[in-house]
Amino acid sequence: MFFRMITASLMRRRSRMLVALLAIAIGATILSGLVTIYYDVPRQMGAQFRNYGANILFTPSENSFSAEDLEAGLALADEGALVGSAPYRYESVRIHEQPVMAAGTNMEGAQKTSPYWLVEGEWPSASGEVMIGKNVADNLQLKNGSTFSMVYTGEDSEETPAESGAESAADGVESAAEEAESPAAGPSDGSGGEEDAEEDGYREAEFTVTAVLSTGGPEENYVYISMEDLEALTEISGKIDLAEVSMSAGAEELNAYTQKVSGEVPAVRAQLVKRVTASETTVLSKLQALVLLVTIVVLALTMICVATTMTAVVAERRREIGLRKAIGASDGSIIREFMGEGMLLGFLGGIIGAFLGFAFAQTVSMKVFSSSITFQPLLVPVTIIVSIAITGLACLLPIRSATKVDPALVLKGE
Amino acid sequence: MFFRLIRGAMFRQRRKMLMIAFTIALGSSLATAMLSVVFDVGDKVNQELKTYGANITVVPKQASVLNDLYDVEGSPDSGAYLREDELGKIKTIFWAFNIVDYAPFVNVSASLDDGSSVTAVGSWFNHHMELPTGEQLDAGMNSLRSWWEITDGKWIDESREGSENEVMAGIHVAERLGLAAGDTLHVTGTSAEKDLTVVGVYDSGGSEDDQIYMSLDTAQALDDMDGCVSSIEVSALTTPDNELAAKAAKNPQSLTIAQYETWYCTAYVSSICYQIQEVITDSVASAVRQVADSEGAILNKTQLLMILITALSLVGAALGICNLVTASVIERSGEIGLMKAIGAYNGSITGLVLTEISLTAILGGIAGFAAGFGFAQIIGNTVFGSAITMRPVVIPIVAVLVILVTLAGSIPAIRMLLGLEPAEVLHGR
Repeated sequence: MFFRMITASLMRRRSRMLVALLAIAIGATILSGLVTIYYDVPRQMGAQFRNYGANILFTPSENSFSAEDLEAGLALADEGALVGSAPYRYESVRIHEQPVMAAGTNMEGAQKTSPYWLVEGEWPSASGEVMIGKNVADNLQLKNGSTFSMVYTGEDSEETPAESGAESAADGVESAAEEAESPAAGPSDGSGGEEDAEEDGYREAEFTVTAVLSTGGPEENYVYISMEDLEALTEISGKIDLAEVSMSAGAEELNAYTQKVSGEVPAVRAQLVKRVTASETTVLSKLQALVLLVTIVVLALTMICVATTMTAVVAERRREIGLRKAIGASDGSIIREFMGEGMLLGFLGGIIGAFLGFAFAQTVSMKVFSSSITFQPLLVPVTIIVSIAITGLACLLPIRSATKVDPALVLKGE
Repeated sequence: MFFRLIRGAMFRQRRKMLMIAFTIALGSSLATAMLSVVFDVGDKVNQELKTYGANITVVPKQASVLNDLYDVEGSPDSGAYLREDELGKIKTIFWAFNIVDYAPFVNVSASLDDGSSVTAVGSWFNHHMELPTGEQLDAGMNSLRSWWEITDGKWIDESREGSENEVMAGIHVAERLGLAAGDTLHVTGTSAEKDLTVVGVYDSGGSEDDQIYMSLDTAQALDDMDGCVSSIEVSALTTPDNELAAKAAKNPQSLTIAQYETWYCTAYVSSICYQIQEVITDSVASAVRQVADSEGAILNKTQLLMILITALSLVGAALGICNLVTASVIERSGEIGLMKAIGAYNGSITGLVLTEISLTAILGGIAGFAAGFGFAQIIGNTVFGSAITMRPVVIPIVAVLVILVTLAGSIPAIRMLLGLEPAEVLHGR
């Protein structure tokens, strides 16, 4: 009987109730949409901040470490947090008789750890292809498509350019690379007698330029070649001077991770790139606070909007309440019925809003970050409960005042 | 008569009108707050991103190629230096207002008492400048290197007496020599030697940890390089790059005159670089892509995010107001029916209802605007620690929005009222 009364009342006053339902659904949409965005913003924005490049460096605790050590270190990272990693090995070589630093790396990894690199041309993908820094290109008059021969003369003879590079390197990441370079100059290959050998350790190979790199930083002074090519040229393999790791995580997690790596992989000393991590923490926390505050203000205002709409809807039924009282309904039964109606509306509006809100958050995420958002299952019941509570509360006040009215006055039409 | 009716409605139905005004106020305060924040969020986030340091570096023309590859340091006669007396000109370029911070650097090699050599860097710390425009600016390392952790002591304060005899040591240097704040460090350059007081030890997490920092004059005196600067770092507020900026960055001459003017008068990082090169003799200014590129990406994303959130809340506010206006007009069907029964024209009824609603909307809108401005300030102060600038453009947007929404909310209700049969209404259905 009770339920039939409620549904019948909703059905009969369809247009009016649709208006109220719409208001509640909008409120619930904003609630679930904004809260979803709020929870997802750190993750999504964190990924954007990876554009600043690597936030962790692996440096060798002694001369150098191996690819296995790097793998072991990366394996300790949380699932999904790792954005990319690139090993680097620096050797001094000669091109056109000019000393140049060659950096051997994994091109795919470097693309992920340094998304801000402006590369003109195609990233090297095959053996024998190189990417050269803009300064090197200007200085040696090389451009995309040029071929040149790179000469490696052994490590000990080329101390000078390596050190001048270290002095002028301004960037935190690269300069740490140089720090690692100097001690790494220790082990000499000493073998000699290869096919091209004219003197001890002299080797030569042909390369084609496929890309010119500009960064505005010291990277423009290097020649980037694939690790395999550098190993073939120098005939020393399995040696890494430094690795850049880009990881999407908070400052504390990063700290814990670096300690874990340094502890469990003895050959590697992991350290944070302070410039990137410290600044990211500052900016990210501000952004999150912004979204939180905006969410709270918007929520508060929409909830009040829903409440005023419900108040208006109930207030216009004072006449009906008066009539009920006149034919003998108790205050309690009237309150129960109206509340039941309001809460049913709240429930329906909450369900609609929960899903519309997710759809909204998904749209925002696709538009802004071009990635999908994680569905928060907990948010569906929360949205429904909150909208039931709000509508219930919004109905309660006008109903209570309406029940206090003298039926005779109401029916008379005052 | 008309006014008496209106006044009567306003006073007799005070509660109802107050409620409509309240809802409209809420909606318009939401719109005001969100629009103010959205218009200002770019600038605010841009300021925050300054913690990443300079986004433009200026080096001498010759040095831009040679410096990193060949050992040209310590040979001032090569001419590869910028002029110190031109530093002030950076604050005179077209986009001077967007230059928030900059500092010159001069690198000299010096030897310490234990025989080791170290790079001594001269720079500004909190250099106070009085600009010709009357503006004042404190520029230097304190803000450009905000990520440095001072492990012992403090930053060099240039306003203090005797700051030219002070030095800050990198943590590696300090550990090697066992330095702490208050110790004296004897530094020998090629042309002078000095006893400097260590005021701070810093941990930068980068190569600066192996260097020592002192004031510009002190470092220049060590190597007889008066008036020479090796590089300048500039931190500027910039607009994210687009196609035009990318084209101009390659070669400004390739633009048409109209494009050139648009580019020159927009705060792209490339146009600011170009303007700096115009005022500093023989210089090459280039964007630090790590900072400039990332700033653009993050700014764009934040702005887009805020715009979408604002759109949602505006739609929510609009529908909320519409709803309430419709509901409150419909409920007056009895009164309207009576008026029609005694011979009121449709036009006069419409005019009456619309005037009532508009009056309420104006009052509510003004109250809401003030409240919304307050909300925006709360957001600005809590999140960014600075006030949100009020954009005049917000006022017409909010006004148009409130009027449109109120009218739109009244239309279905009025249509319904006009279709009422007086007899049916009076009979009570």
